[in-house]
Amino acid sequence: MGSEIIVVIVVATALIFDFTNGFHDTANVVATSISTRAMPPRIAVGYAAVLNFVGAFISLAVAATVAQDVVEIQPNSIGLLAVFSGLVGAIAWNLITWYFGLPSSSSHALIGGMVGAVFVAEGADAVFFKEGILGKVMIPALVAPLLAFIVGGLAILFLYRIVGRLRPGPVTSGFRFGQVISGGLLALAHGTNDAQKTMGVITLALVANGTIATDDFHVPDWVVISSATAISLGTYVGGWRIIKTMGSRIHKMDSAQGFAAQGAGATVILAASHVGFPLSTTHTISGAVIGSGAAKRLSAVRWGVAGNIVLAWILTLPMAALIGGLTYLVTRIFGTGAVGPIVVSTASVVAAALLYARRSHQAGVPPGIPPAVESS
Amino acid sequence: MIASIVDTDALLQVIWVSLLAGVGVPSCFGLALLGTVRAVEFGRNSRPAEAAIFAIVGALGLAVVIASIVFGILTLVND
Repeated sequence: MGSEIIVVIVVATALIFDFTNGFHDTANVVATSISTRAMPPRIAVGYAAVLNFVGAFISLAVAATVAQDVVEIQPNSIGLLAVFSGLVGAIAWNLITWYFGLPSSSSHALIGGMVGAVFVAEGADAVFFKEGILGKVMIPALVAPLLAFIVGGLAILFLYRIVGRLRPGPVTSGFRFGQVISGGLLALAHGTNDAQKTMGVITLALVANGTIATDDFHVPDWVVISSATAISLGTYVGGWRIIKTMGSRIHKMDSAQGFAAQGAGATVILAASHVGFPLSTTHTISGAVIGSGAAKRLSAVRWGVAGNIVLAWILTLPMAALIGGLTYLVTRIFGTGAVGPIVVSTASVVAAALLYARRSHQAGVPPGIPPAVESS
Repeated sequence: MIASIVDTDALLQVIWVSLLAGVGVPSCFGLALLGTVRAVEFGRNSRPAEAAIFAIVGALGLAVVIASIVFGILTLVND
């Protein structure tokens, strides 16, 4: 009975994490479409939410990586507590970075939290540092933003070369139409890669609970549907916040740049999803936006955003791992039953509410993403 | 050392597919736009031969864009 309660808490926590992922990342997905006026904000947000949902169904390679290749979970209560602690570690790090305005990556935080908690719970042998963490997470996470930067830059250079001598009116209209397609693909890609991370974590919990046998890995349909629903709801709800803050926070790009950036981000994320690399979609999209801006005018790029990506890349994994490990130790104070997760969950909710209230009181306006390219 | 840790084949696949699709497909869309705009302009100026050529360029560009997207999604879904 105790383990069933923990599974319910883990699934609920994972879906909340998924919801906040969609909530936080809406800006990345819809910003370019809205800033170039390719789509009205309300339609862009609804469109992104629907395609986030659809995207979650098109592949399970990333979920398999998260569930099988990063850590090894034993089917016992220790494993279940480790998954719970990893999730709490990721959410806590996201909240801390949000509160202090530090750059972060939800994806890296999730994997970092899992690694830290499993390391403390089951020892170093249960963590696949080389092939898993380094080979499937860290190196792809480093390559993806650089690749998106190059692809976005090359795409806009080719596009300017091809359409540069045409009258701007029809070209702008054409690229705005193109952004309906590229923006849709980006939302699809985001849903594919990010929702699958949650699917992977929930599947890990089910393995730890013995619901899924370790030698019969599969992601149950209800896990896919609930993860898809949570991320798309998060995208939709987060979109209303973005619409309110859009006027002052989003830079202007021309529609060709928006099209190139969205296309570059979508292709890199989809290609990585296909081979099972869990990327930071935020970093990848930022890389594409910066690339398309830099190819047009180097001085237009806010290079601090690129610096933030590097900082987030360095900090997130170890810090989330540390918090995940500490959370496991705190949870174990209450034994291996459901009491620990209940106490830690309750304390986390109270702490999150206090942080949110304090931050909202200080800032007045919820923080949005910083613009990567200045108005051209 | 790194090659033994990283799934090099997968990483290279991501790189070449991203470069090909991320640069090629937008470029084809640009060609579709070029063909359409020029075809309309030549049509208005009563130059049907040039208009027809550009219309073909535009149609081919658009066809490649649509085919690439459909192929990409089917590849993802079917694996």
